[in-house]
Formats: sequence, structure tokens, C-alpha cells
Amino acid sequence: MTNKNLKFLEKKLKLSFKDSLINISEDTRIIIIAQKEQVLNILKFLKGKGYDHLALISCADWIEENEFELVYIISSYGDPHTNWENIAKSKQPIGVGVNIILKTRISRENPQFITAIPVFENAEPYEREIHELFGINFEGHPRLTPLFLEREYKIPPFRKDFDTRKYVEEVFDKIPFVEEKK
Amino acid sequence: MRKLELYFGPQHLGMVGNLSITLKVEGDRILEATANPGYLHRGFEKLMELRTWIQNFPIVCRVNMVEPDSMEMVYAMAVEKLANIEVPERAHYIRSIVLELARVASHLFGLWAYANMLGFDTVAQWAMYHRDLILDLFEELTGGRVYHIYLWPGGVRRDFPKGFKDKIVNTLHSIGGCVPDYDATFFNNRLFYERAKGIGKITQEEAKKLGAVGQVLRATGMKFDIRKVEPYAAYNNVDWDVPTREEGDAYSRLWVIRDEMIESVHMIFKLLDKMPDGEVYNRVPNPFKWNIPKGETYVRVESSRGELGLYMVSNGGDKPYRVHFRTPSYTHGLVILEKLLKNASIADVGNIMISLYVVAPEIDR
Repeated sequence: MTNKNLKFLEKKLKLSFKDSLINISEDTRIIIIAQKEQVLNILKFLKGKGYDHLALISCADWIEENEFELVYIISSYGDPHTNWENIAKSKQPIGVGVNIILKTRISRENPQFITAIPVFENAEPYEREIHELFGINFEGHPRLTPLFLEREYKIPPFRKDFDTRKYVEEVFDKIPFVEEKK
Repeated sequence: MRKLELYFGPQHLGMVGNLSITLKVEGDRILEATANPGYLHRGFEKLMELRTWIQNFPIVCRVNMVEPDSMEMVYAMAVEKLANIEVPERAHYIRSIVLELARVASHLFGLWAYANMLGFDTVAQWAMYHRDLILDLFEELTGGRVYHIYLWPGGVRRDFPKGFKDKIVNTLHSIGGCVPDYDATFFNNRLFYERAKGIGKITQEEAKKLGAVGQVLRATGMKFDIRKVEPYAAYNNVDWDVPTREEGDAYSRLWVIRDEMIESVHMIFKLLDKMPDGEVYNRVPNPFKWNIPKGETYVRVESSRGELGLYMVSNGGDKPYRVHFRTPSYTHGLVILEKLLKNASIADVGNIMISLYVVAPEIDR
């Protein structure tokens, strides 16, 4: 798509955030691996450059490395008057079809992070969900109350060390196999 | 006046789906609204980590029962991207046609919900009947009415049966023939105008700030459609337009839905005309021994309610390491709904919620 613009953005990012690893994986994906202190700054920087749509905040539990990985996926709404037919030819400063995957790692022992609500308002339910399912505490978040779950869990249920089957057997009793019944 | 707390849903006549809203009201005016999802939380994303790539299909389509095809599509696309599978040209066209049929069916379902809520029972019954005609098509094509498991990594499960093209055309013609009736009874009806105009109004700036997608954004004049922004399947091969409105209220959202249905039907005709012959399926490896290389991806499609994304991580095994759906109802139902309900009246809660097209199972997953 807008390969030139991507290269330009990559250059800009590399200049501004020297500690972060930046690469373009495919033609429309930029993957940024950032230090956790830099995340909010990078989000602000991207928003200022026209990447104003926070699509998703996700989390992955890398239990072997003893780390959580927070993933922010950012894209652009583009210009409301974009002429879609000429998008490839136009010299827009932003690539509309670009997805930026911003990743950062935090320690599993002390899962603390800062909220992204000041930059993107719709981060609120995503962070609330991650707090509930992974047990990560977001500093500055106005309401980290339970979102989906009804019960209290010792280990937040989406962590890799949460054994779904064991939990079900403990709480709801084991359903015996047919052979065992006889 | 006394301030009261009112529980709206999860079962309420004025709304569809299992989402509960706690309202703080003073008289008829809502001071504060809190959305409480979770009634349909089945932990699908965790369940998917324990099943192989192909075993996940029956789970994926159940994330959203109104339009399961876009769910299958986004999952199939993510698997294809991670495993580097090519899709034959004909399969791209079939996928687009199935997705557009699903979009029409889903919009008719949404129209049913909205018309029912407003008391337009006749229109609601028509919409449900016409949706059923499309489900009949799906039944013939895939064997299932609601859950199809038809879009598959590497293409689609099987080709169109004999004479199926004509059946699609006939069905769409018989639905399209009723558009004047819909217009006369519903869309151009004064009652609908009075009831929906200015309700749940959101500006373009605010919609962007709150992460709106789909009709909610397009009703504010923004031409944001993933089918144009990041074309997938065969959407790039035909000529079509993104319908928009300027006002940003419930009235314009419903008009966008109507225009989109008509645009989709036209698009299906164009796709059927252009559809090439050939294979519809590239074989995937044995599903029981299928290890997908290490990697991660984010793919997105335009579902009937807006941007539907999937973030998927593979650690080189036979099961996904992490799956996370970005569903359009999530921001609409949790962020925008709470914002729009402030200062609205109690009678408009269902109106605002259904016009935002919130589908509860999509939020909870």
C-alpha cells in the first residue's frame, strides 16, 4: 500500500525512540517492541502522527520467560474525505491500512503498569478486562472492578498456570466417565 | 426529586441480548449508566488455547450468533497468515458472497430488533421472514442455518451446488422487491422519524475519540470501512460504495444499515457475474498434526457491526498460544453506550442500545 509512508514513519520512530526495536513485518504491519517506560510516549507520538484508532489492548502470558506481554494495536481512521479510489496514488502523511502492533513486557511477579486512558479513552474496558483476567494492575485507572466474572479466583483465570479442568472438577465436581460408573 | 437505581436487563422487553445496564435515574432522566456484561462469558479465548487449530472452528462461530461468518473469516484469515496458506481466486469470490449474504441477514436481524423495540411489529416480522430466506440459502450451501463452519483456512469447504447462483439471485430479488414496502412502512414513516431523530447523537470527533467503528462511525459522515481500508477476499475486484449519513443519531444509523443492505445486494450480483471458475480449496495439512510456525498476527474484517479484529499468537505448536477478538460491540456497548445514555430518558435506553447494534455475546466472548 503506502510503503513510502511506512518507511518514513519507521525512520521517525527510530529517531524519537532509540531504545525501542522497530520493524515492518509485512507490507502493512509495523511491530514495535518498546521499553515499558516508553509506551505512553509512543502512544502519544503515534496519535499525534494521525494513528488515532486504538483497536485493541491485549495481553499474553509468557510463563516460561516469567513475563506478561501487553499488546496495543493501533491504526488510523484516516481523513473523512479520503478518496478511496486514489488512495494508492495520494501522498497522505498517514497510511490508512496500516496496523501498528506495539508490544512491551512487564514482570510476572509485580504486574504493574500505567493506564493509557489519558491518550485513548476507549482503553478503559480493555484494561479492566486485562486486570480481571490476568491480574495486571493499571495505575491511574478509575475503575478496576470486575467486568465479566462472577466468582473470586486465586489465580486470574487467563493466566497459563490456571488449570481449567482442575478448577472445574474442584468447584463443580467431576463427572465420572461412563466406564467408571459401572 | 428522588434519585433511584434502576436495573435494566439482562431480560427486558425493550432490548435484545443479555446485557444488563444499571441506571441511576432522577425522574425520567438518566444521571449515570453502567453496563454490566458477563452474562454470556464462556471463556472462549481460554478454551481455544486448549484445542487444535481446526477444532477451534465450532467455538469461533459461536462468539457471535447473529453473524458467525465474519468470525470464521477472521479466524481463517489469521490461520492463513500465520501458516502462509494461499487461497484460490474462486474461493475469494465465494467468501465475499457468503459474507455479504451474512451481512444482509444480520442487518435484517438488527432491523427486526429495532422495529420490534419501537413497536413496528409488521416490519419486524418481514425482516425476520426475509432473514429466514437467506438462512435457507445457507442451509443448502453449508448444511447449517446459523453456524456454518464453511469458510476454512485455504478457501471454503465446498463449491456452490448446481443452480445455486440462480437461487441467490431469486432470493435477493424477492427481498429487494420488498424495499418499497419497508420504506413506506418504516423508513419513511413519521413515527420512526419522530422516535429516532436526535436520539443517541454522537459527533464525529467524539465517535473517533471513543473508538467507534461500523455504522456508528459511518452515520457521522466518516467513510471508514475495512473492506475499503484494508481489502480482503474479493472486495477489491468489484466497484461499490460506502453509504454514509451526516447526523450521527439513531435515525441516521438505521438509514446507513438500510443503504448498506442494498449496497451489499448489488455487490453480490456483481461478484456473481465476475466469479471465475476453478478450485475452491487449497488442502491444509493433517489437522491432527498441524503445527503452525511461531509468530503473531492481527487481522481485521468488516463485520456487519464494524471492525472485527483477531490478535493471534502461535508458539509453533498445534494449538494457538493466545487468541483475542477485537469485537465492534465491545467499545460500542461498554464505552459509547454509557456515554450516550447520560441525560437520556428511560424510554430511550433500548432505542440507543439497539441503534448502536450492540450484540452481547460479542462483548463477553
